[in-house]
Amino acid sequence: MSVIKTTNLTKAYGDQKAVDQLSITVNHGDIYGFLGRNGAGKTTTIRMLLGLIQPTDGEIELFGENLSSNKKGILRRIGSIVETPGFYENLTAKENLMINARIQGIHKKNAIYEALEIVGLQNEKKKLVGKYSLGMKQRLGIARALLHYPELLILDEPTNGLDPIGIKEMRRLIKSLAAERNITIFISSHILSEVEQLADHMGVIHKGKLLEEIDLDQLRQKNRKYLEFQVSNDNKAIMLLEKHFQMFDYQVYDEGRIRIYSQLEERALMNKLFVQHDIDVLKIQLSEDRLEDYFEKLVGGGTIG
Amino acid sequence: MKNWSGVVRLVNLVLAELLKLKRSSMFVISILGSVVAPFVVVIATFLNEPSTPFQDLFYNVNLYTVLIIGVPLYGVVTTYLFNREYVEDTLKNLFTIPVSRISFIMSKMLLLFLWIMFLTAIAWALTLFLGWLTQFDGLTVDLLLASIRQFAVGGLLLFILSTPIILVTLVMKNYVPTIIFTVVITLINVMSGNSEHRALFPWAAAGDIANHTLPPTYPPEYSYIIIAFTALLGFVVMVVYFQKADVD
Repeated sequence: MSVIKTTNLTKAYGDQKAVDQLSITVNHGDIYGFLGRNGAGKTTTIRMLLGLIQPTDGEIELFGENLSSNKKGILRRIGSIVETPGFYENLTAKENLMINARIQGIHKKNAIYEALEIVGLQNEKKKLVGKYSLGMKQRLGIARALLHYPELLILDEPTNGLDPIGIKEMRRLIKSLAAERNITIFISSHILSEVEQLADHMGVIHKGKLLEEIDLDQLRQKNRKYLEFQVSNDNKAIMLLEKHFQMFDYQVYDEGRIRIYSQLEERALMNKLFVQHDIDVLKIQLSEDRLEDYFEKLVGGGTIG
Repeated sequence: MKNWSGVVRLVNLVLAELLKLKRSSMFVISILGSVVAPFVVVIATFLNEPSTPFQDLFYNVNLYTVLIIGVPLYGVVTTYLFNREYVEDTLKNLFTIPVSRISFIMSKMLLLFLWIMFLTAIAWALTLFLGWLTQFDGLTVDLLLASIRQFAVGGLLLFILSTPIILVTLVMKNYVPTIIFTVVITLINVMSGNSEHRALFPWAAAGDIANHTLPPTYPPEYSYIIIAFTALLGFVVMVVYFQKADVD
């Protein structure tokens, strides 16, 4: 079941399209990485998903319902952070969460403490938020987003401005939320490695348009280093690989091409084996493609960030 | 049942608004603003004309509060209440909880009403206390009741006329335009002080209605209609604008 589904979602400011006919699907239980360079349209998309801005065109379905038909009901099932979370700086962390709890009608006594505990701020609850570091504010933002036990968490660049340790902690937190609470997570980022380490599925947005939506495992497969042999008899070659190298991590393509994804350092031995068994080796090529190269090609030059 | 839950939600919103004021310096600043008129009027009258009747103290304090200090002071309070959500970037949290935009406006206006009436009460109480301390003559129960009514009407009318000020705040998202707007209103109040047509300017008419000093140039209904029209227009435009405004 899809939790988020947009169809031809568009947001235009005058002649400029910040988001252009975006169609994405996020399935239940996924960690979906929304990758794009700064200004690609990630935050605009998120703001539309949360009803903060009106789309110029297109449809948004959340939990199978049209957002505009039941906005209140749908938003109650979502927790979110949009860019840097804002707080009342004259209040403590606990008081800030009390505001949300009161408005959301959360009566569970320990809800605030539990939310603070998840993000490791339970001992900082009496400190004024104005004295919090950016990393602490980001964590408090997550605590606030989790307060009402959401089914979907929408996080807009949650690691922005965090130091490396903070980034690592945030990553661990997001993974544990998905695994332990079964929350679907939609996370935007301009950092490829971040999305790569977190997400199961990924959409790449560039200049407002969706370039690709892909399963990360497939993508890794697609972009792993591999050795490509082109041989005269691929069936025989595979048999030899399996027998002599216990090699099963390969794919066979047309015209006798075999892509091998492991034991690449033994390519000379493999070549020798083929020749010894009367298989003509027409080509051996070691691919150096990496994920970054793939995205560079996808967005037409430069890096994602 | 549905209406009852709506009331509970609104009460919760107002209580949340009250919590937001904890440790807020604006609350103290607004109190300081509200005590200016009683202090200046009572002390100056005591020094210059100590034989002035108590009734005139209430009249003058209410006059200065409604016509001169009230508009900019309550304007700053209004801007603080609404604009802080932009400054502290908290609107996106509130609207995704979700709080409906109309509930947001209503809870803020309810708090603004309580705040204005609280400041009005402080001005009245301080006038009474300082006047009693400096022993002005003519303090009676009837005067107390009449003055309470006059101060309450003044505060209420200024609250009603806050909708155009809220509109300016929501559109401009900044303190400066609102301050300029309220200073212009105050200037017109001052300049029209001797004009027989002042009853046609809503904020000046509010002062006259509160103090029962409407000039006879026009029927009183004109002033009421102008005030109601200004407030209603401000409210409708504000709601329509805010319902459609993007939260960037």
